[in-house]
Amino acid sequence: MAQQDVERFERTVLPYLDDAYTLARYLLRDEHDAQDVVQDAALRALRHFEGFREGDARAWLLSIVRNCCYTWHRRHRSNQRELPIDHIQPIASSTDPADKAAIEASERAAIQRAIAALPDEFREVIVLREIEELSYKEISDVVGAPIGTVMSRLARARKRLALALGRGEQEAV
Amino acid sequence: MHCTDCLEKLDAYVDGELSPEEARDVDQHLAACAECARAHAELVALSRSIKEGLVRHHAPDVLKARIRSAVLAEPARIPNAGFGVSRIRIAAAGILVAALSSAATLAVVHERNAGPSIESDVVASHIRSLIPGHLTDVVSTNQHNVKPWFNGRVDLSPAVPGLDSAGFPLVGGRVDYVGGRVVPVTVYSRRQHMINVYAWPAERERAITPEHFTERGYHVVRWTSGGIELWAVSDLNAPELDQFVERFNASR
Repeated sequence: MAQQDVERFERTVLPYLDDAYTLARYLLRDEHDAQDVVQDAALRALRHFEGFREGDARAWLLSIVRNCCYTWHRRHRSNQRELPIDHIQPIASSTDPADKAAIEASERAAIQRAIAALPDEFREVIVLREIEELSYKEISDVVGAPIGTVMSRLARARKRLALALGRGEQEAV
Repeated sequence: MHCTDCLEKLDAYVDGELSPEEARDVDQHLAACAECARAHAELVALSRSIKEGLVRHHAPDVLKARIRSAVLAEPARIPNAGFGVSRIRIAAAGILVAALSSAATLAVVHERNAGPSIESDVVASHIRSLIPGHLTDVVSTNQHNVKPWFNGRVDLSPAVPGLDSAGFPLVGGRVDYVGGRVVPVTVYSRRQHMINVYAWPAERERAITPEHFTERGYHVVRWTSGGIELWAVSDLNAPELDQFVERFNASR
């Protein structure tokens, strides 16, 4: 690989390692696995970098991270475990309704649990949209599905989250 | 617009993904239909809660440093490295190639019957550092992690300027044994080249202006600053190493 390509890679792709790591954390639910996969994905990205000429480097890196995460899943299927329900640190709940911070914290914990419990194809679109703030087009490129599919997955993912959080349609706002 | 139509488009509406015409239609419907307006408000609130509930993780410094050094080693890469291969080994392999080639040089030079000078000690330490696993004791691209790491390990708190913007990212630090004492070493990189910076209290007045020499094919710059003697060693070309020293001094 030419020296200037390595330098261009450092400049355009390496700044997005936090995004890559965030996605891997959500897809693998394990920080050590996420670290290994992000490193693997970064090196794969480097090796295919000559093929990347234009476009959004972040979305491009995320698509590689996503593929590496699923490759990882497939290879480790034998010891794939059910998601531990107490995966998220429980936050001490307060019975004092005036304790606004505690209520917000337990609300946040409930959302984290609900997101962690989503099937992969829903969780990834939620993360790509709500954290990474990618457009539908970019999400479609990352997950390799048509825009219409992205749109409906996102809507269904949000419906599931609303249900899990007890925010049904019957609930008045 | 019918309610079913509106509800179907609501997510794309909230995400700003509708065409201007479609968005206008939804606008008009929401203004007229309380039921859909409520669904809209719920969706906006839900999206906000999701954003608040999600955590933006930061890749650990160690991971970033590992990736950076693997990327720097890539031009001399081993083919077909993938899952299952220790990630560190990939990076180390590139460095090993460099170390082996310098070991050849070392063997030739060794025939010379010179006693161990500080110069050869420093360069020997530099070469040793290129052997996998010897470069850094603390891996961090963050100067605020590296500097305190030296506390209590050496009797000198070395300058650890951040030189990322100058194109010399910090790789980490280690302690090494040079000239009969334990000294702090900070490690920077430029492309695949490693730069080791050694520091110890200056024993005698040395010229402030940097001295240059070459030892076993490595460029060495030695200078004194604020009572501290500093040595930078690298196989980087001399002008770039000069540039490094200049930036290092300017940022201290």
